[in-house]
Amino acid sequence: MKRDALVAASFLVAFLFIAYAVTAKNVLGLGSEELRPLGEFYLSNAFAHEGLTSHSPEVVTAIVWNYRGFDTLFETFVFFLAIMGALSVLRLDKEQLRQARELEKSMPHRQMDLIVKATTKLVVVMIIAISASIALHGHLTPGGGFQGGSAMAVAALLLFAAFSKFTLERKGLTLKQTISAYAVGLALILVTVLAPVFIYGGKVLEINLLPGETGLFNLDVGEYLAVAFGFLSVFLVLGIPEWVFKNVLRRELND
Amino acid sequence: MIELHLLILVIVVSFGFVFSYLAMKEHDLLKALALSSVQSTFFALGFYILAAPDIVLAYLAIAVGAYTALVILAISKTERYEVGE
Repeated sequence: MKRDALVAASFLVAFLFIAYAVTAKNVLGLGSEELRPLGEFYLSNAFAHEGLTSHSPEVVTAIVWNYRGFDTLFETFVFFLAIMGALSVLRLDKEQLRQARELEKSMPHRQMDLIVKATTKLVVVMIIAISASIALHGHLTPGGGFQGGSAMAVAALLLFAAFSKFTLERKGLTLKQTISAYAVGLALILVTVLAPVFIYGGKVLEINLLPGETGLFNLDVGEYLAVAFGFLSVFLVLGIPEWVFKNVLRRELND
Repeated sequence: MIELHLLILVIVVSFGFVFSYLAMKEHDLLKALALSSVQSTFFALGFYILAAPDIVLAYLAIAVGAYTALVILAISKTERYEVGE
C-alpha cells in the first residue's frame, strides 16, 4: 500500500515537471509566436459573443458547435443506430442468458501473469484520469465527449484483456448497467437540447440561452457517458465466446 | 527551403501508406490488424502536424484501441487465416 502511494506520487511529480517544462519553459519549442494567416482568421472570427453561440472560448469547439452542430447530432444518431443494431443482432433472452452464464462458468479459467496485471492497473487509472480531463473540460481545450468516451472505452478494454470479462461482471459491470448508463447519457443530452424550449421559450439546441457554459458542459458529459458505455455494452455482448452462442442456440433448436 | 514540419508530414504519411499496403497484402488477419494500427499511429502523427488536436485524440482511441479490439473479437468468431485465390 505504501509502495503504491510512492509510485503514484513519483508519477505525479514527473508529469508535473514535464508539463511545466513543455508549457511554461517551452523546452520543445512547440509554442511558436507567429500565427499562420488561416489561424489568425479563425481566432478572430470563431468566437461569437452574441447571436446563436455555444459560448465556447476555444476555437475548435466553437467551430464544431457554432457552425457544425448538426454534424455532431447526426454522429450521435449513427452511433445509436450502430449500437442498437449490434444489440438486436446478438441478443439473448433471459433463459438463454442464464444458460450462457452456466456454460461460461464451466470454461477453463486462465490468468495473465503478475507483471501484466500490475502494469494494467497503473495504466488504466492514468487513462481514466486523462479521459475524464479530455471530456470534462472539452469546452475549454481540444477534445470533448466523444474523444474522452472512446479513451474510457479503451481503458475498459485493457481490463478485459488483462483480467477477463467474467471478472468485470463479477465486480458488477453487467450489460444491464452499461445500457442504463448509456441511456442516462442520452437522456442528459436530450434534456440539455430541449431545456431552452421549455424554460426560456427558445428553439431546440439553442444552448446559448442557458447560463454560462452549462449547455456545452452538459452535452460533453452526456456524450462522454453515452460513448463510453455504448462501446462497453457492445464489447460485453461481443465478448461472449462463439461456442457458447452456438450451444445456447442449438439447445433452443432441439426444444 | 522546405519547412521542417512539412518534411516530417511527408515522411509520416508515406510510412502510413507503406503500412496500409502491407496490411492489405497480409493473409494472417491478426498480423494485418497490427499493421493497420501502426498505420493509424502514423496518420495520427500526421493529423497532429496538420494542427487538428481533437482529431488526434479521437483517431488514436478509435483506430488503435476500439477498432482493433472489435476486429479481434470478430476474428475470434471466424478463422484467423484468409484463404482463397
